[in-house]
Amino acid sequence: MHILMNRTARRLGGSIVLILAFFLINAGTGSASEKKSFLDTVKTVDEPFDNRSVHQVQPVTQPTVLAGEEYQGGPFRVLARKEHIERYRCSSCHGDKEVKAQNAFTLTHGNVVIQHGREGSALGCIDCHHPQDRDALEDKKGRKIDFDHSYQLCGQCHFRQKRDWLGGAHGKRVSNWAGERVVYNCTTCHNPHAPRFAKRFPATYSVPLN
Amino acid sequence: MGAHPKRNLKTFVVDVFRWNLRGGIGFQLFRLLLLGCMVMGIYAYSFQARFGLSVTGMNDIVSWGFYISNFTFLVGVAAAAVMLILPAYVFHDPNFHRVVIIGEGVAVGALVMCLSFIMVDLGGPLQAWHLIPGIGIFNFPSSILAWDVLVLNGYLLLNGLVPAYILYCHYMGRKANEKLYRPFVFLSIFWAFSIHMVTAFLYQGLPARPFWNNPLLGPRFLASAFAAGPSIIALILAVIHNFTSYKIDRSVFNKLRLIIVISAIINLLMLFSEIFKEFYFPTHHSSAAIYLFFGMGGHDSLVPWIWTSVCVNLAATLVLAFNPGKNNPKVLLPACVFLFVAIWMEKGIGLIVPGLIPSPLGEVVDYLPTWVELSVTLGILALGVTVVSWLIRAALIIEEKYEY
Amino acid sequence: MSLPENNQKNKSERGKENLAAALTEKSSRRAFIKNLSIGAAAASATLLTGCVPGADAAVSGELRLRWQEFFKKNYRLMTQEEKEQTVDRLERLAALQGGMELQIGSEPPLPKVLYGYAFNITRCEGFMECVTACIKENNLDRKTNTQYIRIFEMEPGQLDPSTGDGKYFHEVPVENKFYMGTQCFHCENAPCTKACPTKATWREPDGIVVVDYDWCIGCRYCQAACPYFGRRFNWGKAEIPKEEITPKQHYLGNRLRPVGKMEKCTFCIQRTRKGKLPACVEACPTGSRVFGNLLDPASEIRYVLKNKKVFRMKEELGTEPKFWYFID
Repeated sequence: MHILMNRTARRLGGSIVLILAFFLINAGTGSASEKKSFLDTVKTVDEPFDNRSVHQVQPVTQPTVLAGEEYQGGPFRVLARKEHIERYRCSSCHGDKEVKAQNAFTLTHGNVVIQHGREGSALGCIDCHHPQDRDALEDKKGRKIDFDHSYQLCGQCHFRQKRDWLGGAHGKRVSNWAGERVVYNCTTCHNPHAPRFAKRFPATYSVPLN
Repeated sequence: MGAHPKRNLKTFVVDVFRWNLRGGIGFQLFRLLLLGCMVMGIYAYSFQARFGLSVTGMNDIVSWGFYISNFTFLVGVAAAAVMLILPAYVFHDPNFHRVVIIGEGVAVGALVMCLSFIMVDLGGPLQAWHLIPGIGIFNFPSSILAWDVLVLNGYLLLNGLVPAYILYCHYMGRKANEKLYRPFVFLSIFWAFSIHMVTAFLYQGLPARPFWNNPLLGPRFLASAFAAGPSIIALILAVIHNFTSYKIDRSVFNKLRLIIVISAIINLLMLFSEIFKEFYFPTHHSSAAIYLFFGMGGHDSLVPWIWTSVCVNLAATLVLAFNPGKNNPKVLLPACVFLFVAIWMEKGIGLIVPGLIPSPLGEVVDYLPTWVELSVTLGILALGVTVVSWLIRAALIIEEKYEY
Repeated sequence: MSLPENNQKNKSERGKENLAAALTEKSSRRAFIKNLSIGAAAASATLLTGCVPGADAAVSGELRLRWQEFFKKNYRLMTQEEKEQTVDRLERLAALQGGMELQIGSEPPLPKVLYGYAFNITRCEGFMECVTACIKENNLDRKTNTQYIRIFEMEPGQLDPSTGDGKYFHEVPVENKFYMGTQCFHCENAPCTKACPTKATWREPDGIVVVDYDWCIGCRYCQAACPYFGRRFNWGKAEIPKEEITPKQHYLGNRLRPVGKMEKCTFCIQRTRKGKLPACVEACPTGSRVFGNLLDPASEIRYVLKNKKVFRMKEELGTEPKFWYFID
């Protein structure tokens, strides 16, 4: 029996040493606290990504304009707005001639309810629209701004959102993450007279699983 | 068969079949009942094969249910055979030598049940060949499930081949070569601990499930296995002692009782440790335990289940510990049965389902097995009992009747 | 054994005689098994080559395709040619079985690309347009309303989704609540890919954690391992109205999945590998979702990570998700 115990003891001791060695070696090659996050590798990548290398990108077909400013990746394009404004050119009515109309309520913009700004200190029409040239907008410095580049106007007050919109944290790219950058204009998503999104029912719901 | 009773491997297999197909009316009725249960199980499984696992009560939150619960518990029962092998081979108890073969038969039956539960739980059982290294991919050593497949099949081989060899030698009229099989018996002692630790690691290694992700799960599994397994083995030994001519010494039952009591007490200690950790300063990680013991958000279907299990466990352990009949089997055997059932409740449904509820995003559902799950489980249980009864019957006949 | 043989020879016809002679040759059992295996090999050979004489051509073609699909290897280990062969077989099977015209792609990952995702919890208004777009794009089961994306209505003061309501259905946004979405976060150190016993799920070089649906055995261990409820299982056969099936698919993405297999968000691999935005990003009406290439220092996602206060869910688990939340 004692011979057995010696043999067993030796074998047991040997296996314990082996197991300890296994764990020590594994532990030495990187504990959780020292482990490098993939973010360390990501942040060291400095070379710009060639967007043209993604061959299968289908370019955006909607009409776009080149943005007046650049983002961190260079120039980019913005969706045009003028095609979507129902009665553009404004100067077709807002000119020198007399205008007679049947749907006077809508044609005199009576249906526009301004919910931009708080009650009492809400925006007025000419806070954004150029009082003389109705085909353009005007910022608080008196500069004429094209409808397609309304972000220059919105960004005067909403400068944080504009900065984020340039960078990509606000708004959205159109269709593609690769290829040439085309983004939504401010007024593509926000109605300038009532920019806050309307309350609505969700598109769907989650079913209880039992 | 002829004038001289020639014996070889072929006649061994034929004789095993013969012994199990013949028997008294009681035995035949028993086998018929088992066959009926298996047919029922196959019929229920056909629904699962046709419609997928949607016919079970499982869903994306409770993704493991009755099948895996029973698998977990039965791995423990299989590991418990070591509690017969240890006294027989390490402590050289001659009375235990008589019953080792029965323990190994129970282990084989339990393992067959475990593997069957895994197979019926798979969503794509036809793709199971993808696990085979060489023609498929075996994600060893990263995936604990891969480890589990290895250790379970290895243990099945150990517990199947060693007794088969011994029985075959006895059948052929010679003593088995102990030098040949003794190292494998010792290997199976360590392997029994490992199958249950590895099965525990399946759950223990998941950081997503705080109910399981604690270091006590592995040892707790061992403690509860060594309480529940020997309980059912004691019951089977009592049945054999009373209904066959194979007599088992009282000392075996007394020693088993001791093993069961010590394991059950350790199990209760560990349970208390877990309860303390969950409820002394409950954190977000304790929500599973809160759901289990007290219910959550109106869902409390498991509360009576776990409290019954804990109370019965405590009562049975006390009865076995204080031994009010002085080893009277009329007291001890029912206590063993109750302990077995209580541990099955706590280690099966009481472990797997609360581990998955609430979901990782905090959503609570209830789980109830469907008739398909219950029928398939019944069929697999019948399969396991059939395997065990075949093996034990063959073993007992050889041990009793054949000279060596 | 000679006596029964003689009886047989006297009683049987020619065919039976030959069969009996063949069976009693040498060791009968061995020869029988040999003949059986030769027969099985011949049958499978004819199936593989497709020339089953006298059988219906369409059925044998479909059987042959299914046979080859059953025995193919793991997608990750296939060569590009084998990948194209398997998607071709899948397209043909879909045409044969369902009359569907699909285009299943097998595009490899784009070089120098690692996808990242950001979610603006100030801007999300709980409209769940992302969820409907995802269901439509990824051909998710309509019967069980499977959703990869979950949106939670949260009480300010707590960031844990377990304190939120994931099943709301009323007008949104509600005053004093914010909305947070979850989906598979495509972790760099994913516990799910570690758990899979057959390596049916892995992280592609461009960062997307994918599942080879045909290799998966449906054990659901990955679903138990995921800390974010990112994975879904095909408990039953998916039901999608034929006219709503998105035909542009990818093998690892939105193709129609078999029963009993795991599935999850794939960052719309069928779209992103062609430079398009995932369906959820494109559908969001408030622009709360940002997607791009983390290895491009000029990308929007890098701008967010650099300039916004970002956090990830259950960061302490060390799973390194590539999905950040930020506040405006």
